[in-house]
Amino acid sequence: MKFIGFVIVCLTGGLLLYGTVDLPDWGDPASPASTHLSDYYIEHIVEQTQVPNLVTAVLADYRGYDTMFETAVVFCAGLACFLLLRDFRPKKDRYFRHVPTGVMLHFKNPDTRLVAGNEFEHMDKDWVPSDMIIKTVCRILIPFIQIYALYVVAHGDFSPGGGFQGGVIFGSSLILMAISYNLKTLVKRVTEKFLSIFAALGVLIYVGLGFLAMIMGGHFLDYGMLAPLLPSDPGHIRALGMLGVEIGVGIAVMAVMVIIYMNIVSEGRHDEGL
Amino acid sequence: MIHVFINIAAIFFLVTGLVFFLGGAVGIIRMPDFYSRMHPAGKLDTLGIFAMVTGLVIYNLHHFSLETLLLSIKMSLIVFFVFLASPTATHSIVDAGMRAGLRPWTKKKKKE
Repeated sequence: MKFIGFVIVCLTGGLLLYGTVDLPDWGDPASPASTHLSDYYIEHIVEQTQVPNLVTAVLADYRGYDTMFETAVVFCAGLACFLLLRDFRPKKDRYFRHVPTGVMLHFKNPDTRLVAGNEFEHMDKDWVPSDMIIKTVCRILIPFIQIYALYVVAHGDFSPGGGFQGGVIFGSSLILMAISYNLKTLVKRVTEKFLSIFAALGVLIYVGLGFLAMIMGGHFLDYGMLAPLLPSDPGHIRALGMLGVEIGVGIAVMAVMVIIYMNIVSEGRHDEGL
Repeated sequence: MIHVFINIAAIFFLVTGLVFFLGGAVGIIRMPDFYSRMHPAGKLDTLGIFAMVTGLVIYNLHHFSLETLLLSIKMSLIVFFVFLASPTATHSIVDAGMRAGLRPWTKKKKKE
């Protein structure tokens, strides 16, 4: 099985390398990017899209297909991590701690149940007491990080930023919660089901906006056709379409970041780990 | 006249920040072990960032308007969050070192 995987990886890598033969050289003065493409973007972006940030306009409008499949790649990465690592088998050894006294119980039989009140907590084998300084500071910082992430997503078409960056910042705020408390606290608040739905929803928002433009009578991902749906300046509609797409990207990236972290750090069990 | 004072204050804070950063860099190289290296890395960097950004905030208020004031407030927010995050990060790294069983450096060398 490993050998087949190795052959597939080599074949794919070889194909990709073969594809690069057709690409223009570094700094080739005759390549399209150096002759007319950059000039076209710089001269026409503001009048065509009314987006002041050229990078976002190229990324989400002129190269919309590319970014759409990039989002799909991110989603596939999360899916592959889930399929390869997730482990649903119950664990054999379980540990419980009596909170008032600190006495530990070790259960070797997986069928045994602990019939007791709240004074016992389930814990990991390599449990470390969570530090009060770190917990408190992270509790203060996490909401600000999340607001900043939303700011980065919303300002994607005016200033540096966008869906990928904002999604990564939002996901890292959730990962910070898992690091400062423990993984169980995060899983309790942000369940696996929620994350999986949001990872798919992000891609769906992107593709859905593309199809909505088709239904309104334009080409796929032609945001200009969405103008009748929104009561705003019709010239500004492309910026709004890009914002919608960036929100989709942000949601997908956020969910996939947390899925990958959860699966790797707990070896797919989602019950212990950092 | 006020511009001269603003410039003097900005230069003062920037130079102070540079001195702290220099001290931090020298300390990280010169200190003998992990824990004592965390000391300049955590403390001097934080204070250096405070002094540097304060200097930039003052310099930014040259042309006083709502826009520059807003930018200055945003820059002070950076200082606020660095002041929260940097000592906590240092604390957690040192904590991890203690849990992993790394011994602090002592001047007496053990005979091997």
